[in-house]
Amino acid sequence: MRRFARPIAVLSCAASLLAAPARADIVYVLNSGEASISVIDARERTELRRMPVLREVHHAVLTPDGSTLVIGDSGGNELIFMDPATGEIRRRERISNPYHLEYSPDGRFLVVASLRRDQIDIYDAGTLQLTARFRQPDKPSHVAFSPDSRMVYVTLQGTGEVAAVDLTRKETVWTVPVGPEPAGIIWHRGRLLIGLMGSDEFVSLNPETREVTTAFRTARGAHTVFPAPDGRYLYATARVESGVWQIDANTLEVVRRFDVAGGPDCIAFDPDGRLWMTLRWLGRVAILDPRDGTMDHVRVGRSPHGIFVMPRREGMRADFASIMPGAVSGYRPLPSPLAARSGEPAAGHPPPIIAGAPVLAPGPVVTPARFFRRGPWRVEDAN
Amino acid sequence: MWEWLSDKYDLLATWIFETAIQPALYSLGLMDWAEDAFTWVGFFLFGLVQVAVVYAICRPLEAWRPVEPHQDRRFIRTDILYTLLTRLGVLPLIGFVIFFSADAWLAGAMADSGWIPPNLEEFFPVLRDVPWLAMLVYIVVIDFFEYWRHRFQHTFGWWWALHSIHHAQQHMSFWTDDRNHILDDVLQAAWLGALAVLIGVPPGQFPVILTVLRVAESLSHANTRIHFGRLGERLFVSPRFHRLHHGVLGAGATGRNYAVLFPVWDWVFGTANFDRERFPATGDPEAPQAYVTGGWLRQQWEGVRQVVLALLGRRRNLPARVPEGD
Repeated sequence: MRRFARPIAVLSCAASLLAAPARADIVYVLNSGEASISVIDARERTELRRMPVLREVHHAVLTPDGSTLVIGDSGGNELIFMDPATGEIRRRERISNPYHLEYSPDGRFLVVASLRRDQIDIYDAGTLQLTARFRQPDKPSHVAFSPDSRMVYVTLQGTGEVAAVDLTRKETVWTVPVGPEPAGIIWHRGRLLIGLMGSDEFVSLNPETREVTTAFRTARGAHTVFPAPDGRYLYATARVESGVWQIDANTLEVVRRFDVAGGPDCIAFDPDGRLWMTLRWLGRVAILDPRDGTMDHVRVGRSPHGIFVMPRREGMRADFASIMPGAVSGYRPLPSPLAARSGEPAAGHPPPIIAGAPVLAPGPVVTPARFFRRGPWRVEDAN
Repeated sequence: MWEWLSDKYDLLATWIFETAIQPALYSLGLMDWAEDAFTWVGFFLFGLVQVAVVYAICRPLEAWRPVEPHQDRRFIRTDILYTLLTRLGVLPLIGFVIFFSADAWLAGAMADSGWIPPNLEEFFPVLRDVPWLAMLVYIVVIDFFEYWRHRFQHTFGWWWALHSIHHAQQHMSFWTDDRNHILDDVLQAAWLGALAVLIGVPPGQFPVILTVLRVAESLSHANTRIHFGRLGERLFVSPRFHRLHHGVLGAGATGRNYAVLFPVWDWVFGTANFDRERFPATGDPEAPQAYVTGGWLRQQWEGVRQVVLALLGRRRNLPARVPEGD
């Protein structure tokens, strides 16, 4: 039985993916409350299958070479290495409580923040040998790197601080208060942008001067911010007044607000520029097209958290966004977008649909006409 | 149908959380607890469903074939309070808040030591692909350890001083299952926590299985003259099987039928009694009066006092002795 269980599971998974319409993108959703990964056909917007995992999956990242999706099962104490093209699980590694994880931009380190045990772990990315472990005051939540891979910054939810860890010296070099209950953190053009769950603010932290200023305001329960691949916008989420805010990446001004019920959490972008968001409290994924505000939902497992879009288009790889201008921002900001590989659009030249997206007048609030109904959704003027 | 029900259930949890709990957390500056609070809402709702299902099944059985008439419901009200405090997550929530920091420290210390708690699925990889089977295996293993915890509750004087609250009920009903001292609950959490370090925690995403287990544990305390037959009595703990454990003579003397779900452990370790005709009166004749007729607070206070007395060697109510034979 044991001898055949794994091959059967792999075949079953591969068959599900192959059964999807040709060239439909695949979306992986980590259901943290249900010990499973939902596999979604992005074109049909249906769930193809649920893959069982051990206990509690939260976040997923691509390996630096873009070939493997690494999924952290914090409750199960393991990392799952998956082929994103087929869903095949290549291997598993035992590791202590991997909650939020990210590779350094130079690909040398894998940093894991463990919310439950107040520690940050630095692993050698190649061997997964633990090279340093730092105890933190309270609830290390999310991590973001500097583009030169020298520093990793960690939000500390319990103490309202951000800690800076020097990866060369392997020590915490400073800790600075940023505001109540910081959650998401990204590097963006020389600054760190941090969502404050206990506030309506995203703050900007200058890592050189450690000055903290208001970057922009969303609504109560500010949470995380993600750069769009095209580099023109950031998308920020808030949970208490549940929604997503489109932010001008240059000026940090709020362009639009989209009301999205259900506690939006992680966001992944598909090659057409659509946002795929996990709705943490609702057991659904929302698909938002920011060009016209249309929104759709797919039912997944309980408490969906991490999400990853695997494009299956000619010449497009899992890390398609890394060759685009937005790659210089985020958890793992690259010093500059990677050179285009064979068959991919060149860096700085986003796919046509994104390039052709209309620029809307700032200000409107996009509100669902009916809860959970498939789009189109009504667009209202905020003023 | 199940999908529809499950969806409505989730929507209700979301609605409660988004309209009441999350705004309150925000106002109190506690948004970093949002995910835990959402889990708790699920626990609360699931507890409500469990209590309703247990009531719907056990109450008619008690009315149909009662072992003894319970004409005065006052004696049962305290047990109802115990059940609601436990099943609706009040006591677990208090425990979570009190022990969160200690738990984080312990988890950190364990990681520092290099110990990564394994899972049963690592030892038996086939369980990875069949999570419900993994859960059943966990249930059997945990039931084995629960059998021994229960034995120890009846073995050590200070532990018996706490557990005696559970046995003091002279009007046992399906509500009696959760009648436990808070310190006893803490000990149980520590016991299961230690087990989790060795074999991991079981998967928790199977509400039907969890509800069936809940019904089984409550049913074993029900005031109903039911046994499961010659074979069934040896497979699952029945109201008859567990009532004998709660019998007046069983509490401090004979010590029989400790199993929680599967009588096989009593069978293996020589503590089983499968006499299907015995439905004894329940209670602990040597228990303090507060344990028998007191309310929740009085029982809790008296429990602490009795533990201190036991530790000082001044408590007369002694734990059970396992008999040589039956």
